[in-house]
Amino acid sequence: MLGASLGTDPIKTTSYKVVLPFYTYAALAFLAATLLLLFSAPAFGRHYFHPHVLAVTHTMALGWGTMVILGASHQLVPVLIEGKLYSNTLAYISFALAAVGIPLLVYAFYTFNMNWMARRGGELVIDAVVIYLINLGISMAKSKSENVHAVFVFTAGLWLLITTIVGLLLVYNFSMPMFAEDSLHYLSLHAHMGIIGWFLLLIIGVGSRLIPMFLISKYTNSKLLWWVYAMINTGLVGFVFMFVYSPPTYFYLLPVAAISAALLLFGNYCRMAYRQRLRKKVDEQVKISVLSVMMMALPVILLIIIIISLWAIGENTRLVLAYGFTIFFGWITAIILGMTFKTLPFIIWNKIYHKKAGLGKTPNPKDLFSNTVFVRMAVFYLSGFVLFIAGILSSMVVVLQIGALVLLLAAGLYNFNVLKLLLHKPVIQ
Amino acid sequence: MSVTTNNSIKSTIAMAALHSVIDPEIGLNVADLGLIYNLDFDEAGKKITTTMTLTTQFCPMGESIVDGVTQAMQQTFPDDTIQVDLIFDPPWSYDLISEEGREFLNR
Repeated sequence: MLGASLGTDPIKTTSYKVVLPFYTYAALAFLAATLLLLFSAPAFGRHYFHPHVLAVTHTMALGWGTMVILGASHQLVPVLIEGKLYSNTLAYISFALAAVGIPLLVYAFYTFNMNWMARRGGELVIDAVVIYLINLGISMAKSKSENVHAVFVFTAGLWLLITTIVGLLLVYNFSMPMFAEDSLHYLSLHAHMGIIGWFLLLIIGVGSRLIPMFLISKYTNSKLLWWVYAMINTGLVGFVFMFVYSPPTYFYLLPVAAISAALLLFGNYCRMAYRQRLRKKVDEQVKISVLSVMMMALPVILLIIIIISLWAIGENTRLVLAYGFTIFFGWITAIILGMTFKTLPFIIWNKIYHKKAGLGKTPNPKDLFSNTVFVRMAVFYLSGFVLFIAGILSSMVVVLQIGALVLLLAAGLYNFNVLKLLLHKPVIQ
Repeated sequence: MSVTTNNSIKSTIAMAALHSVIDPEIGLNVADLGLIYNLDFDEAGKKITTTMTLTTQFCPMGESIVDGVTQAMQQTFPDDTIQVDLIFDPPWSYDLISEEGREFLNR
């Protein structure tokens, strides 16, 4: 006699089998990136266009940031569009292509061999992005609900595609020159399309839905989010045009101003959601995610200093390195460290306890990982981040090495908690 | 919105049972969260229909919550057929959280 008569179709969410490989891969990539950082620490005291710096950056941007975001978005897109993910198979294919392509690309950067390995790696990553976009696009087309969050995510995916295509062209440009300048010249174009177009748009699109949800806040403001969307895209498109037409350097402050204004509006959105929350107690995972929103200010400040110094005295490579580091190891890493433990425990809980709900007392999802280890990880992470930045700015190799070691410890603790979650066995009282 | 029903005594028993079904994300039970809209007791047909909603459609924890409601109702009324109808109109809102629920969230 048991059973809900209603088909579970309207509530069936993406299978954990789709999402877990992305999270596992990302955790290992974070560990690999911090290990590479430790062995390549001296390179961070030199120019940013260094093979080891490129290898670390791409491990962080693709293996860590992009993989965890792709995994999470397969789970969260159904919530945003109020519809099902079109295909699990496409998600598996997307994962497999990226999982093979990323190490090829990273190894090619590390050894600075820009021939077949870098090209195949880049092509596989592009294929993975195309398949992700097809899956996302069909899911959205089939859904009845259209909202600003889903538009953010899809546009971010398009920017990721453009970023990866430009990246591959730059790889080809090393051995078969096709542009007027060498690849180094176009690096900031490639980097900013990825950072602003992919990471920033996606994090704001998903974050603006999740932050009020996790805080149990009534606050919602689609109009403000559309403004944020318009300002970021206008700023980025403006930057691309300026890059192509090379106006005086101070013109670059215009897109920076548009994107900074968007960040301020999003910061205010988060503040309002926080003020109107019903849940008074905010857990550590949300705290570190909120901290990451504040950490967005660091690269913006550095960017303004870089533009002004570029205009006045020329390029300062230390500042450029610090800028990139505050983005990949600062803002993006902080939000992932927090959000992993707001999403993964629920995915694991659902996997293990979903048929056992209502039959006895089950553990709370937040009890499936160690909060003590999480807090230690957060302390190591923040200390390592500050030390490494100090190392970059002072060009002191020993400070860079200590910072990298502390970050490696943070990555180790992160992996410990992810593994604890993945290996969780059912407990029912 | 309070729960509507055609049998207030059995409804009280059912709601007590539903207090044990927790939304794992919020940590609050489905009764105080205001997810239960209607409880219909068909005495002749020995069938109980629970009409409920979720905080958001395609909520990742949705299946678990519906399964939890079904299991809790079946344990409480073992001789009846349990049906759970999931609706999203009217949609759930924060105003549906009970006073007890709000106190819990304020802790």
